[in-house]
Amino acid sequence: MNKKIKKNLSILLISFLTLIFIYNQNLFRKVYNIINLTYEDRISQVSGFCSKDSVGYLTYLKKKFNFNFNPEVYNYEDSVPSSNWPIYDNSLKNDSKHKILLNYPGQIELVFYPQENNFYTKNTINYGEELSEIYFDLKVSSMNINSNLTIYTKSYGTNKKEIIYNKPFNKLVKNHQRIKFPHNTLKVKSMINKTIFLDIANFEKNKINNIKIVIKNKFDINELEILDSYNRQCYYVK
Amino acid sequence: MIEIFYIITQILFILVIFSLPVFLVDEKYYAKSIKFTFIDKLSINLIFFINILFFASIFNVKLNLILYGYCFLIIILSCINPKKINFSKIKIDYLFLLLFLFIFLISIDIADQIYFGWDTKTNWIFKTLNFYQGQKIENLSQFNFTDYPHLGSFLWSFFWKFPHDTYEYLGRIFFVFIYLLSIISFSNCLKVEVFEKIIFSILLISLTYSYAIFSGLQDVLIFSAILFFARISYLIFDKKNNFGDFALILILIGIINILCWFKNEGVFYSLFLLFSLLTTYKFSKSCKLYLILGSAFIFLLRIFLFNHYNLELNPSYFEMDKTISLDFSLILYKLKTITFYIIIYLTQNPVYVISLPLLVYLIYKYSVKNLTGFILYFLILNFIFIYLTYMFKMTEVELLTKASMSRVIFQTSGLYFLVIIIYINNYIKLFKK
Repeated sequence: MNKKIKKNLSILLISFLTLIFIYNQNLFRKVYNIINLTYEDRISQVSGFCSKDSVGYLTYLKKKFNFNFNPEVYNYEDSVPSSNWPIYDNSLKNDSKHKILLNYPGQIELVFYPQENNFYTKNTINYGEELSEIYFDLKVSSMNINSNLTIYTKSYGTNKKEIIYNKPFNKLVKNHQRIKFPHNTLKVKSMINKTIFLDIANFEKNKINNIKIVIKNKFDINELEILDSYNRQCYYVK
Repeated sequence: MIEIFYIITQILFILVIFSLPVFLVDEKYYAKSIKFTFIDKLSINLIFFINILFFASIFNVKLNLILYGYCFLIIILSCINPKKINFSKIKIDYLFLLLFLFIFLISIDIADQIYFGWDTKTNWIFKTLNFYQGQKIENLSQFNFTDYPHLGSFLWSFFWKFPHDTYEYLGRIFFVFIYLLSIISFSNCLKVEVFEKIIFSILLISLTYSYAIFSGLQDVLIFSAILFFARISYLIFDKKNNFGDFALILILIGIINILCWFKNEGVFYSLFLLFSLLTTYKFSKSCKLYLILGSAFIFLLRIFLFNHYNLELNPSYFEMDKTISLDFSLILYKLKTITFYIIIYLTQNPVYVISLPLLVYLIYKYSVKNLTGFILYFLILNFIFIYLTYMFKMTEVELLTKASMSRVIFQTSGLYFLVIIIYINNYIKLFKK
């Protein structure tokens, strides 16, 4: 092939491949975003202002309060780690009195739905302190339960149980009747993407719509001084 | 608009830092027996510079002092060789233009997507902040994952600090530079015209690029270091037997050093690369000795620094005592799980989908020798390593494989590009005949 034609064809192909790359990565739109949105707006869009990582809220707090210490950060969102990187300063001391609570759920509630042999929930118990109450959504007015109540997760990919709670439960329960748990302490390992199961032996699952368990939050917002809040989901407290 | 200006000046800053020595250092210092391209020289400068930064980090040299020192070195070189600074003699290097263009394009993607990967949020960013905020290496012991190396984070902090000292993602543009330079430098293995090398490079970028590899994770640095190693190995194999160029041995040792300090698995990859190279290429005795002694020094330095800073491997990661107890059903379960996910992630990685069948074809057609042997030995060792790594984890093997195996597979994928190179070069040779 003529060298010049070969060169022109190569240039054409290079231009074509580059354009495909630009198109695939949607780069024109991204240039537009960079020009028209600030860094803070863009990071809030991808990491959430007061959702997901809540980087937007953390940077907002950093600007507003100009911290001279590192507050503790607790993110209740299960799919992201609790990370204080947007406000962290190595030269400052950590202060455990000042806390930032992200994606704060207020009351932590687990709703267990029936499956073949037990009940399951996809809810998370991040920063739960103890099992507080249980109530049953029944298809009948009441039912008698005389069994062990076991709450557990499973090691990923195996059937090995990690017990969260296991005590006898002998009661006549009425529909939506709130029943208090005896004193207990939640000891939970990493819960990343783990389903929580609830087992009650020898009882008729077909009479139950679901079971709800209320968990006491490690941080009760009513007992803390609120220094800043956003949307009743993100708090700066001490 | 100001951020676009920052991005462009950041790229220019990086390119100037690595290009200037190419003009100022005499040709003979790069290698005696091989004529390097401009891109190759950039890569060598990069390896040299990263090694300097590594030693600066362990001796707690401040970031601005490193920059001043480097500028001072450039000024000295300019004074020694004033005739070398002749811009009228500079020719357009199309591969360099490609490098600039794609750094810019990928930087736009990074500046828009910004988000961090999981490990970045819990580990890498804190190491980066440590250096960025002027703290010493000893201070790293207060963070999680103290056993993870710090070199990638140190590089990030350096280019975050200079020249603008504003947005963190500007520091990550340096990772883009390393990634692209490794691919473009590797394309020089092809014995074709420059435009065809550019096409090949763009195809490799399209095959391997995703924002996730620049989300602050360090796997892309391992990928690039292995690609640099592959490029130098190719040059060595291309020279046939009894090659004895000390400069190339020094470059290989430099790559091994940075591999060891990007991530812990880099130590194993270094050993595998070294073993595969030494067993498949007939080095002269002195070269072999230099290579082995140099690498031994690097591994000993790694162990020494590990002990010096009282670092311990995270005990929750490996559960040796339980693994050694030999529960046969559990071993079988783990083997099954790892094999299943290896197959899944290999088929999701286009590099393996293309290169592994080609490797099988090459072995079938030409038998295992030289470069093919080098790739094959590395492949075998790499897969043994993957199996053993996940086997030593007693519980949650599936979670671990799901979270990390695609990244582990990506890290070493660059070396298998060599198969494509062998295939294309052989094809061109046949075509010319």
